[in-house]
Amino acid sequence: MAIHERSLVDPERILRKERLVIDGIDVSGDWNLIILPRVIEDYDLSFLDEVLEQPEGKTILQCYQCSYCTASCPVHNYWDERYNPRHFIHLARLGLIDELQKRADVMWRCVSCHKCTHRCPKGVLVEEVLKAILRVMAKRGIIEEYPSKKFDKFFLESVYEYGRIEDGELLFGWIEKQGYQVVKDPVLKKPIPFMGGVPEWLKQLAIKPIKNMNIGFLILNAKHMLFHPRTKNWNRFKQVLRKVMEEEGVFAH
Amino acid sequence: MAVALQARKPPMGGIGKRVAYYPGCSLEGAARAYDVSTRIVAKELGLELDYLEDYNCCGAMETKNVTFWGTMLLNARNMSLAKKQGHNVIVAPCNGCSFSLQRAEYFLETDKKVFERINSLLKEGGVDPLTEIPHTYHILEWFYHEAGPEKVKERTRKPLKGLKVANYYGCLYTRPHFYARTYSHTGTEEQERPRMRETADDDEHPYYMEALLEAAGATSVEFEPMHTQCCGGPHSLSDEQVSEKFVMMILQTAKRNGADIIATECPLCHASLEMYRHRLMMKGVPDVDVPAAYFTQLLGIAFGYSAGDVKLKDNLSDPIPVLKRLGLV
Repeated sequence: MAIHERSLVDPERILRKERLVIDGIDVSGDWNLIILPRVIEDYDLSFLDEVLEQPEGKTILQCYQCSYCTASCPVHNYWDERYNPRHFIHLARLGLIDELQKRADVMWRCVSCHKCTHRCPKGVLVEEVLKAILRVMAKRGIIEEYPSKKFDKFFLESVYEYGRIEDGELLFGWIEKQGYQVVKDPVLKKPIPFMGGVPEWLKQLAIKPIKNMNIGFLILNAKHMLFHPRTKNWNRFKQVLRKVMEEEGVFAH
Repeated sequence: MAVALQARKPPMGGIGKRVAYYPGCSLEGAARAYDVSTRIVAKELGLELDYLEDYNCCGAMETKNVTFWGTMLLNARNMSLAKKQGHNVIVAPCNGCSFSLQRAEYFLETDKKVFERINSLLKEGGVDPLTEIPHTYHILEWFYHEAGPEKVKERTRKPLKGLKVANYYGCLYTRPHFYARTYSHTGTEEQERPRMRETADDDEHPYYMEALLEAAGATSVEFEPMHTQCCGGPHSLSDEQVSEKFVMMILQTAKRNGADIIATECPLCHASLEMYRHRLMMKGVPDVDVPAAYFTQLLGIAFGYSAGDVKLKDNLSDPIPVLKRLGLV
């Protein structure tokens, strides 16, 4: 391992003492820091096999840990230092499941900007590999349902059902899922954008086209809200889609 | 500016004047301004868009994160439809759509197993199987190569004089090179990129939008590295904190570099910028009040169309006052 994995040292195993005497010799000062040794026995190598089974995960073995991905990553640089793609790949290859689990709260934060994949000198599809790792973690139940996955599934439902998505439905459906009170008209059960307990910013944005008298825009979006745009002859294709996704276990977890 | 740095110029043409047009779901709903203005610009530049009948959603990032085969299937269906309409080239105006199609292209081309399985699945779903894989280009690349700055200059009736533009390309227009097949125009060392294509934009310093808008009379402001910084993308609704921070960085960089307007080329980036711009302004964050407009809208105005023609009212960030001040609308 070329790069010292500082983050693998747990804080509770670092001992720092003001005065330290070992075998009757005073070693205070420079030698007051001790890291208790750690023995890892539970390398789970089947984790890597499972990642390799995913079509996107195949390139994980090409990684030589140069950390160009991490250096490029906007989530690492501008949001949370703990988000470290290189390190996640390293852990997945070692099969250190509990270390991955400790990072489960940041692992989903990837915004899919593909800087990592683009710049990787070894041709690792980093973003795709990380998504494959996440998927295996979800399959094993070591990562809880995270916001972006909820949104992904919500989005997929719409695609699966109609073949196309509709922006208004997606936005207000998601807002409703977040626990906001969305007012719906009594007949068609469609959301009324500028009423109820939706966030203030959304209300203000939704009312803009009305203030601007942008009638064409309003009619178009109202039409789409009432009649969801859909692909013709979708049903037969939907069956195949369902079969494929069932094989992948999309509906199971 | 990035344009001045270009060491090697890619050849013009090579994509085709008449292509299959895959607008994507967004452009037929909330982003109709982009669709309308794209058609205007294509007409003015003498290019022909053949609407891809009965297409389905490309799946975007969200579907890709959940199901590999489902996403491949969705895109293969669109490719098959394009083939049926007699096209070998698909043009998509959305970064997400062009990414998804190019990603499918990559896996279909490089993995024989994927190609065979997808073909048998397509047959099962009542769609013609693929014999040849059509190529996908972003609409900006198409405009640049089939019309180019000279043609834009020729068509410009009302130059965008004095308009300072920050060209925002977003993530997936040039990235990753595996799918977008971009290469470095400025790099000194030749990179091993077997599938790269001559027409693609520069990977880290894209300049096609800048070149087109400058030909229409606008001035570009320095916008690196935020021109390809992520706007939050697929997380713009599910991870609000991160998206807000990213958009704040983009808008502040644009404003502080003196931009009047941000030119966008992706409906999701555009929506994300507009949405978070409003929220940041409500919070009282300084220097975030730059409006956004699609680059096709700006080109449309330069070609002599009115604000109503290019649907400037649809932009929630309201760029009309800025353009009015410069006497453009």
